[in-house]
Amino acid sequence: MIPVRHGAVKVDFDAAHASLRVQGMDVFDDHDLANSLTQGLGLPSPAIPAMFPVHAKVSFDVEWDGALATADIENSAQNFKGTFLSTGATIGWSAEQTGFQFQSDTPPDPKANLISVLGRERNGVFFS
Amino acid sequence: MSDLNFSLWERFQEKWLSRRNLLRGAAGTVLGAGLARPTLVYANDDDGDHEQEPCVGPNPIPGGVVGLKPYGIFIHHNPLNPAKALADINDPSQITDFDGWVGLTHIRGGGTGMDTSTGATTPLAFQADMGFSQGKFIGTDGLEHRGTFAFV
Repeated sequence: MIPVRHGAVKVDFDAAHASLRVQGMDVFDDHDLANSLTQGLGLPSPAIPAMFPVHAKVSFDVEWDGALATADIENSAQNFKGTFLSTGATIGWSAEQTGFQFQSDTPPDPKANLISVLGRERNGVFFS
Repeated sequence: MSDLNFSLWERFQEKWLSRRNLLRGAAGTVLGAGLARPTLVYANDDDGDHEQEPCVGPNPIPGGVVGLKPYGIFIHHNPLNPAKALADINDPSQITDFDGWVGLTHIRGGGTGMDTSTGATTPLAFQADMGFSQGKFIGTDGLEHRGTFAFV
Protein backbone atom coordinates (compact mmCIF):
# COMPACT_ATOMS: atom_id res chain seq x y z
CA MET A 1 0.00 0.00 0.00
CA ILE A 2 1.30 3.39 -0.95
CA PRO A 3 0.48 6.36 1.29
CA VAL A 4 -1.13 9.18 -0.64
CA ARG A 5 -2.63 12.54 0.21
CA HIS A 6 -6.02 12.42 1.87
CA GLY A 7 -7.51 14.38 -1.02
CA ALA A 8 -6.43 11.72 -3.52
CA VAL A 9 -9.48 9.71 -2.48
CA LYS A 10 -13.04 11.01 -2.51
CA VAL A 11 -15.97 8.86 -1.46
CA ASP A 12 -19.68 9.55 -1.76
CA PHE A 13 -20.99 6.21 -0.67
CA ASP A 14 -24.65 7.19 -0.82
CA ALA A 15 -24.16 8.09 -4.46
CA ALA A 16 -22.15 4.91 -5.07
CA HIS A 17 -19.24 7.03 -6.23
CA ALA A 18 -15.57 7.20 -5.35
CA SER A 19 -12.40 8.32 -7.02
CA LEU A 20 -8.68 7.78 -6.61
CA ARG A 21 -6.57 10.39 -8.39
CA VAL A 22 -2.79 10.53 -8.26
CA GLN A 23 -0.41 12.48 -10.48
CA GLY A 24 3.26 11.72 -11.01
CA MET A 25 3.74 8.95 -8.47
CA ASP A 26 7.32 7.72 -8.40
CA VAL A 27 7.49 3.96 -8.82
CA PHE A 28 9.85 1.34 -10.10
CA ASP A 29 8.93 -0.49 -13.25
CA ASP A 30 9.84 -4.12 -12.61
CA HIS A 31 8.99 -5.19 -16.13
CA ASP A 32 6.83 -8.15 -15.16
CA LEU A 33 4.96 -9.83 -12.35
CA ALA A 34 7.68 -12.36 -11.57
CA ASN A 35 10.36 -9.72 -11.16
CA SER A 36 8.03 -7.55 -9.15
CA LEU A 37 7.40 -10.33 -6.65
CA THR A 38 10.96 -11.68 -6.57
CA GLN A 39 12.53 -8.24 -6.29
CA GLY A 40 14.17 -8.53 -9.68
CA LEU A 41 15.43 -12.09 -9.41
CA GLY A 42 13.29 -13.54 -12.20
CA LEU A 43 12.28 -17.19 -12.19
CA PRO A 44 14.12 -20.38 -13.19
CA SER A 45 11.04 -22.16 -14.48
CA PRO A 46 9.23 -20.95 -16.42
CA ALA A 47 12.36 -19.08 -17.41
CA ILE A 48 11.89 -15.40 -16.74
CA PRO A 49 15.16 -13.49 -16.80
CA ALA A 50 16.10 -11.21 -13.95
CA MET A 51 15.31 -7.60 -14.76
CA PHE A 52 16.68 -4.55 -13.04
CA PRO A 53 13.87 -2.17 -12.11
CA VAL A 54 13.83 1.27 -13.66
CA HIS A 55 12.40 4.51 -12.33
CA ALA A 56 9.03 5.51 -13.69
CA LYS A 57 6.25 7.95 -12.95
CA VAL A 58 2.61 6.94 -13.11
CA SER A 59 -0.60 8.90 -12.96
CA PHE A 60 -4.04 7.42 -12.64
CA ASP A 61 -7.66 8.40 -12.26
CA VAL A 62 -9.84 5.57 -11.03
CA GLU A 63 -13.57 6.11 -10.66
CA TRP A 64 -16.13 3.83 -9.06
CA ASP A 65 -19.62 4.80 -10.09
CA GLY A 66 -23.11 3.36 -9.98
CA ALA A 67 -24.27 0.55 -7.71
CA LEU A 68 -24.89 -2.76 -9.47
CA ALA A 69 -25.45 -4.73 -6.27
CA THR A 70 -25.31 -4.20 -2.52
CA ALA A 71 -24.36 -6.61 0.27
CA ASP A 72 -23.94 -6.42 4.02
CA ILE A 73 -21.19 -8.84 4.92
CA GLU A 74 -20.02 -10.17 8.27
CA ASN A 75 -17.25 -12.69 7.76
CA SER A 76 -15.95 -13.99 11.08
CA ALA A 77 -13.47 -16.32 9.38
CA GLN A 78 -11.66 -13.38 7.85
CA ASN A 79 -12.59 -10.91 10.58
CA PHE A 80 -14.17 -8.30 8.39
CA LYS A 81 -17.60 -6.80 8.05
CA GLY A 82 -19.23 -3.93 6.28
CA THR A 83 -21.50 -2.70 3.55
CA PHE A 84 -20.25 -3.23 0.04
CA LEU A 85 -21.35 -2.14 -3.40
CA SER A 86 -20.52 -3.73 -6.69
CA THR A 87 -20.04 -0.80 -9.05
CA GLY A 88 -19.08 0.24 -12.51
CA ALA A 89 -15.58 1.66 -12.82
CA THR A 90 -13.15 3.30 -15.20
CA ILE A 91 -9.42 3.89 -15.13
CA GLY A 92 -7.34 6.48 -16.88
CA TRP A 93 -3.65 5.54 -16.78
CA SER A 94 -0.42 7.05 -17.91
CA ALA A 95 3.19 6.07 -17.29
CA GLU A 96 6.51 7.46 -18.33
CA GLN A 97 10.07 6.36 -17.98
CA THR A 98 13.25 6.97 -19.91
CA GLY A 99 12.50 6.14 -23.52
CA PHE A 100 8.89 5.09 -23.06
CA GLN A 101 5.44 6.54 -22.41
CA PHE A 102 2.05 4.93 -22.10
CA GLN A 103 -1.35 6.56 -22.17
CA SER A 104 -4.55 4.61 -21.77
CA ASP A 105 -7.43 5.28 -24.12
CA THR A 106 -9.31 8.51 -23.52
CA PRO A 107 -12.05 8.55 -22.51
CA PRO A 108 -11.75 5.26 -20.62
CA ASP A 109 -14.10 2.51 -21.70
CA PRO A 110 -16.69 1.65 -19.00
CA LYS A 111 -17.05 -1.80 -20.55
CA ALA A 112 -13.45 -2.58 -19.57
CA ASN A 113 -14.52 -3.00 -15.96
CA LEU A 114 -14.32 -6.67 -14.95
CA ILE A 115 -15.38 -6.19 -11.35
CA SER A 116 -15.21 -3.34 -8.88
CA VAL A 117 -16.17 -3.01 -5.25
CA LEU A 118 -16.65 -0.04 -2.97
CA GLY A 119 -17.22 -0.55 0.72
CA ARG A 120 -17.34 0.75 4.26
CA GLU A 121 -15.63 -1.89 6.33
CA ARG A 122 -14.02 -2.84 9.60
CA ASN A 123 -11.53 -5.62 10.05
CA GLY A 124 -9.03 -6.97 12.54
CA VAL A 125 -9.36 -5.37 15.96
CA PHE A 126 -12.22 -3.20 14.65
CA PHE A 127 -14.24 -6.22 13.58
CA SER A 128 -15.98 -6.83 16.87
CA MET B 1 2.19 -15.62 8.86
CA SER B 2 5.33 -17.61 8.11
CA ASP B 3 8.79 -16.12 8.43
CA LEU B 4 9.02 -16.07 4.66
CA ASN B 5 5.77 -14.21 4.37
CA PHE B 6 6.74 -11.78 7.09
CA SER B 7 10.09 -11.18 5.48
CA LEU B 8 8.46 -10.51 2.14
CA TRP B 9 5.97 -8.13 3.68
CA GLU B 10 8.77 -6.28 5.41
CA ARG B 11 10.55 -5.96 2.11
CA PHE B 12 7.36 -4.79 0.49
CA GLN B 13 6.89 -2.22 3.21
CA GLU B 14 10.44 -1.03 2.88
CA LYS B 15 9.90 -0.46 -0.79
CA TRP B 16 6.25 0.49 -0.46
CA LEU B 17 5.29 -1.99 -2.95
CA SER B 18 2.16 -3.42 -3.80
CA ARG B 19 2.48 -4.08 -7.43
CA ARG B 20 1.93 -6.58 -10.07
CA ASN B 21 1.79 -6.18 -13.76
CA LEU B 22 0.46 -2.88 -15.00
CA LEU B 23 0.86 -2.94 -18.69
CA ARG B 24 0.66 -5.92 -20.96
CA GLY B 25 1.68 -5.49 -24.53
CA ALA B 26 -0.52 -6.51 -27.40
CA ALA B 27 1.88 -9.31 -28.24
CA GLY B 28 1.75 -10.59 -24.68
CA THR B 29 4.92 -8.97 -23.43
CA VAL B 30 4.55 -7.63 -19.95
CA LEU B 31 5.80 -4.09 -20.07
CA GLY B 32 5.39 -2.74 -16.64
CA ALA B 33 5.19 -3.31 -12.98
CA GLY B 34 6.27 -1.08 -10.18
CA LEU B 35 7.66 -1.03 -6.71
CA ALA B 36 6.78 2.34 -5.40
CA ARG B 37 8.98 3.75 -2.71
CA PRO B 38 7.62 7.09 -1.62
CA THR B 39 8.38 8.24 1.89
CA LEU B 40 5.75 7.78 4.57
CA VAL B 41 4.67 11.36 4.70
CA TYR B 42 0.91 11.17 4.34
CA ALA B 43 -0.10 8.42 6.71
CA ASN B 44 -1.40 10.90 9.26
CA ASP B 45 -2.78 13.27 6.67
CA ASP B 46 -6.45 12.55 7.12
CA ASP B 47 -7.20 16.24 7.57
CA GLY B 48 -5.75 16.96 4.16
CA ASP B 49 -3.34 19.62 5.32
CA HIS B 50 -0.44 17.81 3.69
CA GLU B 51 1.76 17.97 6.74
CA GLN B 52 4.83 15.88 6.22
CA GLU B 53 4.80 13.81 9.37
CA PRO B 54 6.84 10.62 9.40
CA CYS B 55 4.71 7.67 10.35
CA VAL B 56 4.70 3.92 10.55
CA GLY B 57 2.70 1.91 8.08
CA PRO B 58 -0.26 -0.42 8.48
CA ASN B 59 -0.12 -4.19 8.95
CA PRO B 60 -1.24 -6.50 6.16
CA ILE B 61 -4.36 -8.61 6.29
CA PRO B 62 -3.45 -12.14 7.42
CA GLY B 63 -5.07 -13.67 4.34
CA GLY B 64 -4.40 -13.36 0.66
CA VAL B 65 -3.28 -15.48 -2.22
CA VAL B 66 -0.19 -17.41 -3.17
CA GLY B 67 1.29 -16.04 -6.34
CA LEU B 68 3.83 -17.48 -8.73
CA LYS B 69 3.07 -21.10 -8.03
CA PRO B 70 4.98 -23.28 -7.31
CA TYR B 71 7.28 -20.71 -5.69
CA GLY B 72 4.70 -19.78 -3.15
CA ILE B 73 5.17 -16.06 -2.80
CA PHE B 74 2.34 -14.96 -0.55
CA ILE B 75 0.51 -11.76 -1.41
CA HIS B 76 -1.66 -10.08 1.21
CA HIS B 77 -4.39 -9.27 -1.26
CA ASN B 78 -7.63 -10.94 -2.27
CA PRO B 79 -8.18 -10.35 -5.97
CA LEU B 80 -11.78 -9.76 -6.94
CA ASN B 81 -13.38 -12.61 -8.82
CA PRO B 82 -16.12 -11.64 -11.31
CA ALA B 83 -17.60 -15.14 -10.94
CA LYS B 84 -18.25 -14.64 -7.22
CA ALA B 85 -21.36 -13.02 -5.82
CA LEU B 86 -20.74 -9.75 -4.00
CA ALA B 87 -21.91 -11.31 -0.72
CA ASP B 88 -19.19 -13.96 -1.03
CA ILE B 89 -16.17 -11.74 -1.60
CA ASN B 90 -13.05 -12.06 0.50
CA ASP B 91 -11.82 -9.08 2.46
CA PRO B 92 -11.11 -6.44 -0.22
CA SER B 93 -8.80 -4.49 2.11
CA GLN B 94 -5.07 -5.13 2.02
CA ILE B 95 -4.52 -3.78 5.53
CA THR B 96 -5.81 -5.15 8.79
CA ASP B 97 -6.98 -3.48 12.00
CA PHE B 98 -8.68 -1.03 9.70
CA ASP B 99 -11.93 0.94 9.88
CA GLY B 100 -12.84 2.99 6.85
CA TRP B 101 -13.54 3.18 3.15
CA VAL B 102 -12.17 0.63 0.78
CA GLY B 103 -12.27 0.45 -3.00
CA LEU B 104 -10.97 -2.25 -5.29
CA THR B 105 -11.23 -2.72 -9.03
CA HIS B 106 -10.07 -5.04 -11.75
CA ILE B 107 -10.08 -3.50 -15.19
CA ARG B 108 -8.66 -4.26 -18.59
CA GLY B 109 -8.30 -1.69 -21.31
CA GLY B 110 -6.33 -0.33 -24.19
CA GLY B 111 -3.90 2.45 -24.76
CA THR B 112 -0.91 3.65 -26.71
CA GLY B 113 2.76 3.21 -25.97
CA MET B 114 5.41 5.47 -27.43
CA ASP B 115 9.13 5.10 -27.88
CA THR B 116 10.10 8.60 -26.89
CA SER B 117 13.41 8.43 -28.71
CA THR B 118 11.80 7.76 -32.07
CA GLY B 119 8.21 8.85 -31.56
CA ALA B 120 7.02 5.46 -32.77
CA THR B 121 3.71 4.41 -31.22
CA THR B 122 2.09 1.05 -30.74
CA PRO B 123 -1.32 -0.02 -29.42
CA LEU B 124 -1.05 -1.78 -26.07
CA ALA B 125 -3.42 -3.50 -23.72
CA PHE B 126 -3.30 -3.01 -19.98
CA GLN B 127 -4.71 -4.73 -16.95
CA ALA B 128 -5.02 -2.99 -13.63
CA ASP B 129 -5.86 -4.33 -10.19
CA MET B 130 -6.08 -1.21 -8.05
CA GLY B 131 -7.76 0.19 -5.02
CA PHE B 132 -7.57 2.34 -1.92
CA SER B 133 -8.08 2.33 1.82
CA GLN B 134 -8.94 5.46 3.74
CA GLY B 135 -9.66 5.59 7.44
CA LYS B 136 -8.18 4.66 10.78
CA PHE B 137 -5.82 1.77 11.34
CA ILE B 138 -3.55 0.32 13.96
CA GLY B 139 -0.02 0.80 12.69
CA THR B 140 3.02 -1.38 13.11
CA ASP B 141 3.80 0.68 16.23
CA GLY B 142 0.57 -0.54 17.84
CA LEU B 143 -0.95 2.93 17.83
CA GLU B 144 -4.02 4.24 16.05
CA HIS B 145 -3.46 6.35 12.97
CA ARG B 146 -5.52 7.78 10.16
CA GLY B 147 -4.41 7.65 6.59
CA THR B 148 -5.09 7.13 2.93
CA PHE B 149 -3.40 4.43 0.90
CA ALA B 150 -3.43 3.47 -2.73
CA PHE B 151 -3.14 -0.11 -3.85
CA VAL B 152 -1.29 0.13 -7.15
